[in-house]
Amino acid sequence: MTALPSLTMVAAALVDELRGALGAPHVRVGATELGLYRRDASNMRGDAAVVCFPTSTADVQACVTAAHRHRVPFVARGSGTGLAGGAVPVDGAVVIVTTKMDRVLSVDPATRIAWVEPGVLNLDLSRQVVQYGLHYAPDPSSQQACSVGGNLATNAGGPHCLAYGVTSTHILAAEVVLADGTVALLGGEDPEPLGLDLRGAFVGGEGMLGVATRIAVRLLPNPPAVSTLLLDFASVDDGAATVSAIIAAGIVPAALEMMDALITRAVEQYVHAGFPTDAAAILLVEVDGLPAAVAEAAARVQEIGRAHRARGVRIARDEAERALLWKGRKTAFGAVARIKPNYYLHDTVVPRARLVEVLQQVYAIAAAHDLAVMNVFHAGDGNLHPLLLFDEHEPGVVERVHAAGEEIVRASVAAGGVLSGEHGIGLEKRDLMPLMFGPDDLDHQARLRRAFDPDGLANPGKVLPTGSGCRDVQELREVPEGVWI
Amino acid sequence: MDLTAFAEEIGSAGPVTIAGLGTRGGAVPGIRAVRAPAGIVTVQPEEMIVRCGAGTPVAELDAALAAVGQRVALPPRGTVGGILSAGRSGPRRLGDGPVRDTLLQARYVSAEGRPITAGGPTVKNVSGFDLCRLLVGSWGTLGFLGEVILRTRPRPACSAWYSGRADPFALLERLYRPVSVLWDGTTTWVCLEGHPDDVAAQAGLTGLAGVDAPPALPGGGRESLPPSALATLTGEFVAEVGVGVVHRPGPVPARPAPPRVAELHRRLKHEFDPTERLNPGVDPLTRAAAGGD
Amino acid sequence: MRLDVLDDDLATCVGCGLCLPHCPTYRVTGEESASPRGRIAAMRAVHWDGAAPTGEFVEFMDACVQCRGCETACPSGVPYGRLMEGTRQALAAERRISPWWQRLALRTLGHHRAVLAGSSMLAVAQRARLVPRRLGLPRLAVRRPQLRATGDDVWLFTGCVMDAWQRDVHVAAVDVLTATGAGVALPGGGAACCGSLHVHAGLTGDARRLATRVIAAFPGDRPVLVDSAGCGAAMKDYGHLLGTDEARAFAARVHDVHEWLAERIDLLPQPLRHLGPVIVQDPCHLRHVQRAHLPVRTVLGAVADVVELDDDGLCCGAGGAYSTLHPDLAGAIRDRKLAAITRAERLTGATVVASANPGCALHLAATGVRVRHPLELVASALPGGRPR
Repeated sequence: MTALPSLTMVAAALVDELRGALGAPHVRVGATELGLYRRDASNMRGDAAVVCFPTSTADVQACVTAAHRHRVPFVARGSGTGLAGGAVPVDGAVVIVTTKMDRVLSVDPATRIAWVEPGVLNLDLSRQVVQYGLHYAPDPSSQQACSVGGNLATNAGGPHCLAYGVTSTHILAAEVVLADGTVALLGGEDPEPLGLDLRGAFVGGEGMLGVATRIAVRLLPNPPAVSTLLLDFASVDDGAATVSAIIAAGIVPAALEMMDALITRAVEQYVHAGFPTDAAAILLVEVDGLPAAVAEAAARVQEIGRAHRARGVRIARDEAERALLWKGRKTAFGAVARIKPNYYLHDTVVPRARLVEVLQQVYAIAAAHDLAVMNVFHAGDGNLHPLLLFDEHEPGVVERVHAAGEEIVRASVAAGGVLSGEHGIGLEKRDLMPLMFGPDDLDHQARLRRAFDPDGLANPGKVLPTGSGCRDVQELREVPEGVWI
Repeated sequence: MDLTAFAEEIGSAGPVTIAGLGTRGGAVPGIRAVRAPAGIVTVQPEEMIVRCGAGTPVAELDAALAAVGQRVALPPRGTVGGILSAGRSGPRRLGDGPVRDTLLQARYVSAEGRPITAGGPTVKNVSGFDLCRLLVGSWGTLGFLGEVILRTRPRPACSAWYSGRADPFALLERLYRPVSVLWDGTTTWVCLEGHPDDVAAQAGLTGLAGVDAPPALPGGGRESLPPSALATLTGEFVAEVGVGVVHRPGPVPARPAPPRVAELHRRLKHEFDPTERLNPGVDPLTRAAAGGD
Repeated sequence: MRLDVLDDDLATCVGCGLCLPHCPTYRVTGEESASPRGRIAAMRAVHWDGAAPTGEFVEFMDACVQCRGCETACPSGVPYGRLMEGTRQALAAERRISPWWQRLALRTLGHHRAVLAGSSMLAVAQRARLVPRRLGLPRLAVRRPQLRATGDDVWLFTGCVMDAWQRDVHVAAVDVLTATGAGVALPGGGAACCGSLHVHAGLTGDARRLATRVIAAFPGDRPVLVDSAGCGAAMKDYGHLLGTDEARAFAARVHDVHEWLAERIDLLPQPLRHLGPVIVQDPCHLRHVQRAHLPVRTVLGAVADVVELDDDGLCCGAGGAYSTLHPDLAGAIRDRKLAAITRAERLTGATVVASANPGCALHLAATGVRVRHPLELVASALPGGRPR
């Protein structure tokens, strides 16, 4: 430990080197600016030493090479919309911001493959290919703001992943800068790239395996027919049973979303989408594809809903009504924010058959901690998103929120579910990983990490709980307290 | 399913190989061979998952899922474990997606002889690194699959093959998500699935005639090309249009591995099997060109 | 240092980042410091955590266009405009922003004769090629058309620079309003300037003085119509600016001219000709602040096929005096808008852009885009209208 030069000396030499490579305007050390890169969309914080704005693979390579040479950790960051603290820097880290790498490099409408830089925003990509009748399928609720590079790092999901799969399904290849500054192409446009599926291993790596600098994505043709239905129920159980029955009937809707009573009321006041404010639960079901299949599936969904005592079924008559229903769903968080100033959004997955049971537990846990909770979630794949509402000025409330959150995660895993469906582990759930994985399991994840980054410099301290066999950088240099909140 | 016995059989020392139905080259000859547990543990149609031993023949799995109106997107021959280890998708990949997207959870035995769990039982899951995708296509060099949870899909109401002389690339453009488009340079085959009315309407767009089955795929060599490179193919072949797999009657040249990719393979092998006891001599990098499923 | 903001306002932001793509400066830089979320984080550091309001901080605050596109995008309802105005007010009070020459220039706006005379002098100078082209000024008129009142049903606010540089628009507004049967009254000299630029610059005292004069210039309870989106937004906020009942009552009388016309669109005479496709550019202070961009479509739709841009109403970079004070950023922001306009032109064959704000119109026209006020287009299609 004593053999290492001090942080300040390292930082000064490192900054000089970075400036030499990227040009001074693209390397920032101002205190005010560094402060803006302490957090992502989570509420965890760390202090970066320097923020870099690369504009090319070579720039990213220069950043990583310099960090590697000085044995300083680095973290790549896109739009900073992650909710698990994945882009929160370990203290003293080099933050590599990819937002200036925001070009769509090529679109081939014949093969439906696009190459993009990591800073391209998810929704921008779909908009840029709309002229070819194509779209990029994964659609996280933050799709207007989040970047494809960030989506790749977290293996992001979204409502339409039920039918079309999460991000990994749609990434064909990535040019990545590895933690030692070398560049590798993982995967390829061809279907069976040589050897192991390094691309698959890299996606969802939360920035701990390297930095993607060019990404090949698969685009999907827009469906010829779409039908969007709104079903409302007098009980949450009926709504959840309908979800299971739809799937068991062999229908895989493009999206199958559920909102409980509280959030439905809140959204209706905000959006005026015509949501029934006296419903205990509503389901938003979208089926798409070829016309006959869509008509049949829409009819079956209605039948199943009515068999489960749906009080009303509304079918969007046109694109405007469909957009309105989706607006209600996608702005749900906004409606919530108008009720209490703060919210904590959780993300777990449970088997569909256990939805009702786990939801009841979520309500009970929130009540036990004297917190308001609302549920708006991807019911089709059992992906719960309980929102705990609070006012941070209330003394002791943050502790209660965290305690309740952990209980919700525990309940989900105990019901046969998983820790995270789409937000990732990051810092938020790192220490809960043992709920799902034993020491040997975690050791194997650490081996994957080590193969990609033997020095543990790429976004250290995330995903893997300490002691899971990963020689992360905290062994090299003490991590100041207070980083992992 | 208890993996303990399987793990004990694998042990922690000495070369060992894993055998299935021998569909994809079989076990490494001349060393101790083990077989993965076989049999279906649970079929859960409402969760769209199935849990089974890696040694389960895929035909058995398919029959059990047919009973509940579902199927798995795996090619038809061999064991589940063998298919996953090879990581090669069948000619329906255009519609079904690749094999690698099927594996949700893997329980496997490490080179140290310990049972390891990777992934989770739900379709959506980003808890930790994606070891499942690393295992698919690893040819048993990083661990031996014992038990898996696979994603299932509804069986379509109607499935039909059509054939004739048509530009396969134009068809790919015109049709909405066909399940398969095969082409041998003169004849095109298309598989359409879904609601019978939709299938009929889409078939009408092709101008092709109904046939019973797709062509036999030449098994001498297997090329992997960007889908954009298929239009200029020469020689004897059947190509998966829109995907890029090309089946050849004879061997195809090996592809060199880029140095960084080869280095990552070396490091991964070293991390997961430092003594190189699992399927010794097998290298995923050189397995690519061999023909067959 | 304490900023002139409310703690509760500052606490509203949860840092989700959904504002980022709706912020013009973030869009062209990709930097947190040029984003609403980043600026709020910096405000918090200064206001709550005792961080020094360094030059870096001032620069970040100063680079905001104040388009308030983030407000309509914000799920948490963060009152960003109020936060930025309060921050600038505190910075201006300590003379950290808005140097003397800016203050002097802004003060001139309250003296309408000086504005008119200055504009004419500038116009003459232009003709003598004494004005550098890089300033991006439009070709100014040496003489302005006469503007005549036509009755006393509604007031038309005429303002400062707009009256000097774009009096044609006022003439068109009077024509269109009068065509619907409404008599238009014009204010006296007191209604010289709405004060919006002063608010932007953090010069709240100057803004209050101007607002008081404006209110006094529009006696009675007739509606006060505004054909400049930026002025309308400022005048609708007089209640908040002055905090008096009189100001609140006045603010309630202020309408964007399109809002007023859209409700009376049936009274508009049958147009003589159809103008074909016209691209609508939404001024931020109409769309994000007044949230009154839809009526423009109703009014323009009476004479043309309305063509939408595909950029979610992202700011064009004009931002009052912003394009003069931050030409590089404003230019980069405008390039995005021009690209959107080009896409719309290609798709529809439209050749003219309608913008209901003088600042946007001038900023875009400086690149050669054909920009007209929506009411100029409407007036040109009405009986007796001249092609504009």
